[in-house]
Amino acid sequence: MTTTQLAGAGAGGGTIGLDDHAEESRDAQRRADRWLIGGTILMGTAVLGIFGLPLFLKGLSLQRQAQRSGLSVRPIIVTLIGYMVMLDAALNTFGWAIDLFANHTLVSRLFLPTWGNMFDAGYFWHYNELAVGGTSAPGEKAWEVVGVFVVFPMRIAACIGLLQMKRWGHQWMILTCWTGVIMWVGYVANMTVYADIRFTGVVFPVIGWWLYDIFYITPFVSLPYLHTVNREIFTD
Amino acid sequence: MDPTSTSTDDLPAGTSPEHSRLHNRIRRVCYVLLFALVVEGALTFPLLALWYGFPELSPHEVCDELQKVMYTDDTRECQQPVPLGDAPFGGPAEAEGQTTARDEWGVQPRPQYPTVHYRDLVENKERREANADDDDPEAADDPDAADG
Amino acid sequence: MNEQDRQKRRALVVLQVVIYGYLALMIAIQLHLWAQRDW
Repeated sequence: MTTTQLAGAGAGGGTIGLDDHAEESRDAQRRADRWLIGGTILMGTAVLGIFGLPLFLKGLSLQRQAQRSGLSVRPIIVTLIGYMVMLDAALNTFGWAIDLFANHTLVSRLFLPTWGNMFDAGYFWHYNELAVGGTSAPGEKAWEVVGVFVVFPMRIAACIGLLQMKRWGHQWMILTCWTGVIMWVGYVANMTVYADIRFTGVVFPVIGWWLYDIFYITPFVSLPYLHTVNREIFTD
Repeated sequence: MDPTSTSTDDLPAGTSPEHSRLHNRIRRVCYVLLFALVVEGALTFPLLALWYGFPELSPHEVCDELQKVMYTDDTRECQQPVPLGDAPFGGPAEAEGQTTARDEWGVQPRPQYPTVHYRDLVENKERREANADDDDPEAADDPDAADG
Repeated sequence: MNEQDRQKRRALVVLQVVIYGYLALMIAIQLHLWAQRDW
């Protein structure tokens, strides 16, 4: 647990006071985290996300309350970044995982090709024609494989470590946000090269996809924070 | 870090004064992204459902109609259900070996299917059924039947 | 320490400019292709 400037306000002085303070802080954090985790899980399902948001906000407000009353809890921004990047990974994984493993279920054959027909025909064009099924867009399967098996699991692990205020969590988070840069650069380049396949006949070409997907830039946004935060707040 | 000097600034742990503006901005951007992701996640399913013909078309029918457009084949249907042992883990994919899809092939394939506008799939289905009725001699007394 | 910090901040700004610049470039290219072809 960090014992930075926040500790002074609540502790009565002496080791017993500090222990109480640490335990109280841990409990407060855990209480907030229950709401945060519940909210994030619901938000990760996309369709139930609107119910998850209030839970998440309640968790944040609990944490802020604890912080104001002098307890040593995680900085709000670390909480935000940690859960948001996790949400980002969960939402991405969901779509790509069903395209990889469940592409012949009705759910998959409804959700992905309709989304594809509206925003990105990579998920509509010749859907389920490849032997492996799912998207037939050139290069798309490769990005799915690297995402679902390497980048997103690492991202989720990093978030867990970051939320626990661990040093390795902070380091892995930096790493995984940089891999996010790699994913975005490569993925968008691939889309652009095969733009005819990706956008012909689409209901909302180009603008639709960008408006939809631009909100997944959390890794880019987090990088300046991760590089300028004082590393001392993360412990072994 | 000196606790007394920063306590008046009320800075969060890990944020030194020269970075506080940056960190504040990042925090606010995170809130925006969070709300946007949640709202768009919630709106996606209803939007897609309405656009592609639900509830007038059942999910299975939407799948059928969509594949008819996808592969330019009015007889194409969504095989349902596909057993777990089948594609993609075994057995051919649903559309493997299909021959009806229209594309300008080349190193840069150009799809030739039409855009599906709002509730076009419903119209497609109705039009197709009306045509089927036309071919049926018992529908000859239908005043709205298209001529030829 | 200060110099290091300043260099780091500049590098981070450059990073943001490059990343968002790249995305803007890709959007521009895609829009150009859209205008050019019949999507």
